[in-house]
Amino acid sequence: MQQFLNVTLGGLSQGAIYAAFALALVLIWRATRIINFAQGSMAMFSTYIALVLIESGQSYWAGFAAALLAGLVLGALIERVVIRPVEGGPELNAVIVTLGLFVAIQALAAILFGASFESFPAPFGLSGFSVGEFTVAFTPFSAFVIGSVVVVMLALVALFRFTDIGLRMRASAFNQEVARLLGVRVGNMLTLGWAFAAVVGSLAGLLIAGGNLVHPAYMDPVIVYGFVAAVLGGLESPAGAVVGGLLIGLALSYVSGYLGSELVTLAALGILVAVLLVRPHGLFSRTTARRV
Amino acid sequence: MSKRVRRRGAGIVAVATAVAVIASACGAGGRPDENEGGAAEVGVTEDSVKVGAHFPLTGVAAPGYSAIPTGAKAYFDYVNANGGVHGRTIDYVFRDDAYNPTNTSQVVNELVLQDEIFAMVGGLGTPTHSAVLDFLNSNGVPDLFVSSGSLLWDQPEKNPMTFGWQPDYEVEGKIIGQYVKQNFPDAKVGLFLQDDDFGDDGEKGARAYIDDQIVAAERYAPGNTDVAPQIAALQASGADLVIGFNVPSYTALSQLTAMRSNYEPQWIYSNVGSDPALVGSLLGRFSEGKVTDASMLDGAITTEYLPGVDEADNPWTQLWQRIWDEHGGEGDLSNYRIYGMSQAYTFVQALQAAGPEPTREGIVDALEQVGQDLQGPALVPYRYSPDSHAGLSGVKVVQITGTTTKELSPVMVTDNGDAEITEYTEEHAPPPENGIPNVEPVG
Repeated sequence: MQQFLNVTLGGLSQGAIYAAFALALVLIWRATRIINFAQGSMAMFSTYIALVLIESGQSYWAGFAAALLAGLVLGALIERVVIRPVEGGPELNAVIVTLGLFVAIQALAAILFGASFESFPAPFGLSGFSVGEFTVAFTPFSAFVIGSVVVVMLALVALFRFTDIGLRMRASAFNQEVARLLGVRVGNMLTLGWAFAAVVGSLAGLLIAGGNLVHPAYMDPVIVYGFVAAVLGGLESPAGAVVGGLLIGLALSYVSGYLGSELVTLAALGILVAVLLVRPHGLFSRTTARRV
Repeated sequence: MSKRVRRRGAGIVAVATAVAVIASACGAGGRPDENEGGAAEVGVTEDSVKVGAHFPLTGVAAPGYSAIPTGAKAYFDYVNANGGVHGRTIDYVFRDDAYNPTNTSQVVNELVLQDEIFAMVGGLGTPTHSAVLDFLNSNGVPDLFVSSGSLLWDQPEKNPMTFGWQPDYEVEGKIIGQYVKQNFPDAKVGLFLQDDDFGDDGEKGARAYIDDQIVAAERYAPGNTDVAPQIAALQASGADLVIGFNVPSYTALSQLTAMRSNYEPQWIYSNVGSDPALVGSLLGRFSEGKVTDASMLDGAITTEYLPGVDEADNPWTQLWQRIWDEHGGEGDLSNYRIYGMSQAYTFVQALQAAGPEPTREGIVDALEQVGQDLQGPALVPYRYSPDSHAGLSGVKVVQITGTTTKELSPVMVTDNGDAEITEYTEEHAPPPENGIPNVEPVG
């Protein structure tokens, strides 16, 4: 019973991290119609900036804020400098460029920050809450992770549903020409989409790093599972991304705890294929394919 | 533009060819004796011997292990500065494989075919080195002192060029198993294992003594840093003593994860995963999150077969310290660097035994003949013979207290399979005065 509880709670906090990452993917997809493979590397980079600040004696929260800000700047910068020239070409071009960025940023981080493992502090306790005589594997930091993910999800829903900017972002992503005719400054919207997505990505990076070990490739598994989560949720829906993230987190935790740690990657792919066979547009997609 | 480049390229080729022709002509004319009757051995010149190795300098296994080649290099530099071996300096090349077997194949290919090394010395890792085992043996490259305790390196029939070095995980598992049986007869034992030969061999050794005490065996896949499900399963099984056959970063991860659910069994970590200084530095920064410092591993049990940095009075440690101060790079002497130096020391012994004109066959023969008698930094003898390429024969059990260790058992030696565990009573000889071994050439 205690094992089930701990495996479940572990899965939930791990799932919340996948969800945060999936939210960043959803955001960039809705804002620019690009799948950003470099998201994980960008998040890793801003997390390292936080680590450098914390190591130099700043507080955790100063590092936290700096990382989010760095994410914002990095996202906007990459869109303007690297992505802009390939925008408007075949869609695949931009995706391949993000793949290149993924490798390049990791290599750059290894040069700047070193390639070895380093521990990353957490702002809250890392010992589990006690319930009666049991201590459950749910720490104050896990609560912080889940709380942050819920807040970000609500903020995204609000952004796209209730704000003018959100509407303009969706319009530019949906059809640049028409949006432009209607007076939307499409270029700015794309930059903004990248910047926001990079902030959310950085948050995911910080959340997974907290109380754990970081190295330039530490986001790699999160990228894979975050993608699975986002696709499960239909790539369109923030709530879908969160549900997808939690589902993947739980499923992988059960697989690892009861079947074997070597089956985790296999299980993630199995789940992805199974869901896409039954619901090709993901669990939460409302847009049905238009038949012509 | 392109035409000019091509023409210049042709020019370079022509010059290179001319140089090669002249050089070979000089070689043939200038030193007829050496080139007749069989060319000099690959990687061996008149004044140098080139050896190579692969290590994880980046990635999941890099903490700690990436320091090993710096130690080996410091020792080789020291030997070179003192005249080398039979007048030859040792040229040591090591490359990064990031603990990824695909990379290992590639870098070892480069070492053998491009750098033309004479021998491999201390290539690290069970999964990684397995990937190049066949390649090295089929190319006849001596594959000495693999930095891993897998049983794979001791197959002289199948892999005649490969030799192990450190005590293998089965031997270590057996000695830990017997210690647990004698000192914790009522403990419920859980195993925390890397999911490959490392964990399997250790489990095999431990089960030989405490099969009936083991209540759970959990495996983690290297690379997957979420070990919460494994720790939860160990906790649920009621294990109050956990034996870990894992790499150092997973020692830190298992400690962190166990803390999350307030799980406090008696921890026993195999030698390779237990360096208190390294694990302490990985865990150190969590002080804000209620982990204090290196003392996190306080009370954990592990094994030793080399005098470590904490034994400042040991003449071997003093030798390593002196060499590191003179020839080391950045950073302090650590147990990983001592490991690298000790391997380098053993290679110098082997090269001396191979005689003034070393050949690849010759160094393998020499090790088989004199290997068991080599005296070195290790507390126990090697098991090398024509029938065995197994490395060191035992360990002692120790407990970590702060950054040092406390002896729990005498030095024990054994062999694989049913061999009994016996106490090794011979005095550990101090190093030679000048720090360089003096092994007579064989034959």
